Amino acid sequence: MDIKVSLDNVYVPSEDVVAREIQGNFIIVPITSGIGDLEDEIFTLSETGKAIWDRLDRKRTLKDIVKDLTLDFGGSPQEIEKDVVGFTEELLKRKMLVEVKGV
Amino acid sequence: MSKSCVANVSLSEFSLWQKMKSNKGLFSFDLEITARCNNNCRHCYINLPSNDEKAKEKELSLDEIKEIVDQAVSLGALWCLITGGEPLLRKDFFDIYSYLKQKGILISVFTNATLINQEHIDFFKKYPPRDIEVTVYGLTQDTYESISRTPGSFNAFMRGLNLLLKNGIKVRFKTMALCSNVNELEEIAKFCRQRTKDYFRFDPFLHLRFDNNKFRNEEIKSERLSPQEIVDIEQKDPQRFGVLEKNCNKLINPHFSQFKCNHLFHCGTGNGSFTVSYDGWFRLCSSLWHPDCIFDIKKGSLSEAWQNFVPKVRDMRSNRIEFLKKCRTCPIINLCIWCPAHAYLENGEMDKPVDYFCEVAHAREEMLVKRTTGKHREPKFPALT
Repeated sequence: MDIKVSLDNVYVPSEDVVAREIQGNFIIVPITSGIGDLEDEIFTLSETGKAIWDRLDRKRTLKDIVKDLTLDFGGSPQEIEKDVVGFTEELLKRKMLVEVKGV
Repeated sequence: MSKSCVANVSLSEFSLWQKMKSNKGLFSFDLEITARCNNNCRHCYINLPSNDEKAKEKELSLDEIKEIVDQAVSLGALWCLITGGEPLLRKDFFDIYSYLKQKGILISVFTNATLINQEHIDFFKKYPPRDIEVTVYGLTQDTYESISRTPGSFNAFMRGLNLLLKNGIKVRFKTMALCSNVNELEEIAKFCRQRTKDYFRFDPFLHLRFDNNKFRNEEIKSERLSPQEIVDIEQKDPQRFGVLEKNCNKLINPHFSQFKCNHLFHCGTGNGSFTVSYDGWFRLCSSLWHPDCIFDIKKGSLSEAWQNFVPKVRDMRSNRIEFLKKCRTCPIINLCIWCPAHAYLENGEMDKPVDYFCEVAHAREEMLVKRTTGKHREPKFPALT
């Protein structure tokens, strides 16, 4: 299935996953079946992943998140945009994020 | 780039696990949600009748369990084993399970599978457990029910198991190796291994009951295999023997005889995990029932138990000469079922050797030495009894 990510869209964590921070590790635990590709998995987010995840607040579009991250961390907006889009695609594919309609 | 932002790992490869172990953080916990069971197995260390009203009254309520789960999650727990008794006997099983799921906990369930129905299947399909461990007592009605002592239980077990397997629920297997089923053990192993991608394990080491019921303890003892029988079944099973052989140097370690300290516990009890009984007793491990080692979770917080009580128990010591000269410095302690918890269940004292355990350990040592060197020789550490 093709996943199309738009920078103007708002995405939020799915209700079918729980995000937890344990001893400095940020992990995502699926609650229902069909999340992720394999059995017996938990998912870990890198620092970058966590920074994006924390900003998925039902208000900000991906464009807003790219702006935020550029301000907070510096670096090239193009590189950050690539990270944000890639991360969103990856998590949408795993059904860990959902698009918020009508924002 | 996205790959660097998110990674999927199997739990066994999860580095946090190792990190938590070394930090002595909480990783997992066992919830014995009931002591009641619809079977009445001869070897069981906990089971009470399914209609035991007193036991039912003493069971932690759903709210009490939720409170424990909340505290465990705040301490960082990631994994919970729901066990019993037979956990499916609890009417609020789904509520307990769902609550754990909502909190981001991975779940294992121990069950005899006899109560599994379509409702369980639909539920587990939607909210998958990490695994369901089913105990297989026998493959014939005669054998199974001579152990379970419950008419109809074999058919119920087969029906429940088939439902799980047919619907792709992740099942792993275990069996207790008993006098009553030892003749079927090879068949049981074959049956189980053909039906799971996960592991099958058999356990010939029976410890005594938590409630110290003397009559039931005699039944357990009567199901224990002799040391030679245990060695025989371990040798006959290539997978089991392979593991023993691979770990031979850890299982027989002459350096242990140099130990000078008098700590009672040298196992992993209380390192990363705890158990709560159906009536709210916190322990460092399921078998550790000595009055100085249990904490009433209804009267104190889990944090208090974890942060203050556990280190205190782990620091317990003994100066009993028998303990210091035998178990504490025994080079084959890792081949032995002996531990302070099992010693207490056996004879009311945590620092007393248990002859049967000692005999089994030495028989296993003799077998390993003989098999790994390819020739028979006297065991290096002859029985001290």
